[in-house]
Amino acid sequence: MLRFALRTVPRLSAIRTATRAQQTVMSVGSLRMQQQVRLMSSENLADAEFDARYEAFFNRPDIDGWEIRKGMSDLVQMDLVPDPIIVAAALRACRRVNDYALTTRILEIVKIKCADQVNEIWPYMIQELKPTLDELGILLPEEMGYDQPELALPNPYDIH
Amino acid sequence: MASLATRRLLREIGQVQVVGVRFGSAGPPIPLQKVNIGKREIVGFGNNGEINYVDSVMSPFPAIRFKEDVGEVAALRTKEQGDWKKMTKEEKKALYRASFCQTLTELEAPTGEWKSVTGLVLLGLSLGLWGYLWVKWVVYGDMPDTITNDEKRKAQIERMIALRVNPVEGFASKYDYEKGKWKE
Repeated sequence: MLRFALRTVPRLSAIRTATRAQQTVMSVGSLRMQQQVRLMSSENLADAEFDARYEAFFNRPDIDGWEIRKGMSDLVQMDLVPDPIIVAAALRACRRVNDYALTTRILEIVKIKCADQVNEIWPYMIQELKPTLDELGILLPEEMGYDQPELALPNPYDIH
Repeated sequence: MASLATRRLLREIGQVQVVGVRFGSAGPPIPLQKVNIGKREIVGFGNNGEINYVDSVMSPFPAIRFKEDVGEVAALRTKEQGDWKKMTKEEKKALYRASFCQTLTELEAPTGEWKSVTGLVLLGLSLGLWGYLWVKWVVYGDMPDTITNDEKRKAQIERMIALRVNPVEGFASKYDYEKGKWKE
């Protein structure tokens, strides 16, 4: 079963729990929400630790572009959609290293990672990331016009 | 920490990387192939540690930027240090194209190659069919008149009945010899 690292109820502060409980998200997520309010199984503890580790990694104040890229590469190679907390931390890390293009690339690849559940997961992701995006002045790929192909490149194997 | 220092140092000196750092240990650096990437900044590990630019959905963060930091790009880089809200959409797009060649959507966009493939397959199929027709019409001669001439065929059938060809389960078994005609 796909490990679904994206959760609607975090294990941390009560404030976050209160806000998230009021949000109606996709049916799969709300089902898990009810389960998680009641019990913390070992799988959720592992998820929480995973998220916390990656968030802490991207929140390092002295992180550099090399490490952001390596961390994100490793993250997107795993069979999961990163939690919005991790993505927000990565975007803030990009701000610290003054790399705007990297933020767009991260958002693009996170959307692709949603695969066929993009209509359920992506709006939630945007909703969670909105504060960070507005604070840093990052445009979504859709807002930049990059949800459709803009330029065409001939296939090098077709050039004779 | 030593590996971090070496990496930054290499990025600052020049863009031709000639030595690499051994993974996870101290010790003399190992020589790499010389890679000429112009003045493009090395920014990441890339797909496998090689210093090249490849767009891929499976490895979306190439090791180097796509364009060199010269001219307009350099001017945008200084703007990038400041508030991103002050940059226009075009500037942000220019920054993206400076770091990346294609967007991931462009990578995944359909190429229309299936039309060429279908066309070529159908061409091949039709060549085969024409080949068959040529063999039938030109290579093979006419069928003998023992097959095309109805009277001759009737005569042959009557002879087969008289000979009782395959009388148990085959040809003559379908003929009713008492009534003198074919079984219903």
